[in-house]
Amino acid sequence: MANITFENVTKRYGEVTAVSNLNLEVLDKEFLVLLGPSGCGKTTTMRMIAGLETITEGTLRIGGVEVNNVLPKYRNVAMVFQNYALYPHMTVAENIGYPLRVRKVPKEERRKIIEQAARTVELGELLERYPRQLSGGQRQRVALARAIIRRPTVFLMDEPLSNLDAKLRIQMRAELKHLQRELATTTVYVTHDQIEAMTLADRVAVMDQGVIKQLGPPKTIYGDPDNIFVAGFIGSPGMNLTRGELRDGTFAGEGFTVPGVGGGNRRAAVLGVRPEDLRIVGTGEGHLRAPLYSVELTGESTLLTVRTQDVFVIIRTDKDFAGNVDDEIEVAVNLDKAYLFDAETGERIRG
Amino acid sequence: MTDTTPATPLDPLAPLGKIKEFNPTRQRIKKWLVFAVIGFALFYTLFPVYWLFLNSFKTRLDMFATPAIWLLDAPTLYNYVQTFVERPFLRFMFNSLVVAVGTTILALVFGTMAGFALARFDYPGRAKYHVSFWILSTRMMPPIVTIIPLFLFFAFVNLLNTKTALVIAYTGFNLPFVIWMMKGYFQELPRELEESAMVDGDTRLGAFIRVLIPLARPGLAATAIFTLILSWNEFLFALIITETQTSNTLPIGIAGRITQYKTEWGEISAAGFASCIPIIIFAFIVQKHLVRGLSFGAVKG
Repeated sequence: MANITFENVTKRYGEVTAVSNLNLEVLDKEFLVLLGPSGCGKTTTMRMIAGLETITEGTLRIGGVEVNNVLPKYRNVAMVFQNYALYPHMTVAENIGYPLRVRKVPKEERRKIIEQAARTVELGELLERYPRQLSGGQRQRVALARAIIRRPTVFLMDEPLSNLDAKLRIQMRAELKHLQRELATTTVYVTHDQIEAMTLADRVAVMDQGVIKQLGPPKTIYGDPDNIFVAGFIGSPGMNLTRGELRDGTFAGEGFTVPGVGGGNRRAAVLGVRPEDLRIVGTGEGHLRAPLYSVELTGESTLLTVRTQDVFVIIRTDKDFAGNVDDEIEVAVNLDKAYLFDAETGERIRG
Repeated sequence: MTDTTPATPLDPLAPLGKIKEFNPTRQRIKKWLVFAVIGFALFYTLFPVYWLFLNSFKTRLDMFATPAIWLLDAPTLYNYVQTFVERPFLRFMFNSLVVAVGTTILALVFGTMAGFALARFDYPGRAKYHVSFWILSTRMMPPIVTIIPLFLFFAFVNLLNTKTALVIAYTGFNLPFVIWMMKGYFQELPRELEESAMVDGDTRLGAFIRVLIPLARPGLAATAIFTLILSWNEFLFALIITETQTSNTLPIGIAGRITQYKTEWGEISAAGFASCIPIIIFAFIVQKHLVRGLSFGAVKG
């Protein structure tokens, strides 16, 4: 069993609190993604698991054992760093074999395991090369091979794909996911890229300012956000969020009203609707009528922006949409997919 | 408000100043000027060595001949025999070697570890007390001001006239330099390298030895040669601390040939030239690293 448990864990650097009273359980064999903007504490959280950061308060357990004061070398976790951290003066084989060399595995046996790991990540031909002679993708594979070689109880990955070009990133993403299933090892993965998070994760923990804002499967994070931060952070383009007033379940924004959203009476509320949950309707049938501000074809769909007073609303519509800037269109909200938030706390208003 | 728009709009294609045409004669003159400067620099540095070399093979008579003798037709080994057979210069050389190598090893071992600690560790008061600056500040006074306290200290611990005393004194004087060089070096290396090594199952010391030291090799080579030269050539401390053959170093031995009645130029030349050789050999061995070591930032992960 290799579950990781954070109990009221806090990490402070002097006056700055990087992680604040964190409670989180990473289940055995789970792929958990820590997602958030830079400086949200996700990397600090991961480094605490690796033992590279001390814990100010609280308890961290790996496989049920408290590891607060255990040195990295005794934790049996493997980590892939953002810049791969390959040892430049060692060949690929020596790099991959380093964890074994440190553990004094005999040379012959080491050689065999190295070759096997290199085959797993398809590096077989390159064992005698040096890291500087490899491409970004190959370096990434070396880092992965070095991580899997000793069958760690936990994998940690700190934005491992962010140094790759877009095409390679998609390929490596699929390989990573496949590898994780194959090895069935608890994995914690840090990223600020929501698409990586959505595609890879069993569960996503969205973090902001040292706090987990929501923890759940990607589908829940996307389709049932708990607060404005998660709603706004996930999705590209982001969710449309507008401030307004709630009166008997009718949302009144600047220059438009949406009846039937629920939530009772509130002076200040925020309505959130994803671009794909807005549709263009005939005159008199919609909630908002405004001129087109821009039309962008992305390939698989068209993104429309309309402007009403100071509010910009983005609508995802069919790729065959025909219309020009300044044309008036009418937009209806898909009421099942309209989210209400408290304007002050940012929390979701449910029901 | 002043009007900042130029009177005429700038033409992006306008030439930058007057167009100069390529002039072959000019280029040639420039090239020869460069050669002349290099030639002068070479002459300036190499001629004294050549003169030393030449004199070491001359008889006393030839040495003072006018006009000066530039090429020898009858070289003599007399000076070398005098210095290395008749007089204990081999012993001095051995002393110098022990002191210089000992100092270099000690200064490198401690300096590298201290440099690493200063570069990486979060010690108390790190931001407040400028520890590394104070370490360097010990080099800001003329070394001679420490000579009386050091003399008294070595007298007290009964180390006067020993090579150990010299090694201790030189290590002290070289350490700040080594620490600063190595600190700069370790700061250039990405932190993730040692973190990765530690997560891979190594201790901090193991990561330091197996990962960081090999990467800092150019810095070590450059630092080593400076330390070696400095302690090989040091005169002042050796003069005060050493007394007899058991600890006298080469510079002291050479200076000793200037006697009350006579200066043995031949022996001085022979010993002087011979003392260059070990340093030159060492410089050749490490020169591959030296170039990279002196240009910081050459190591990137």
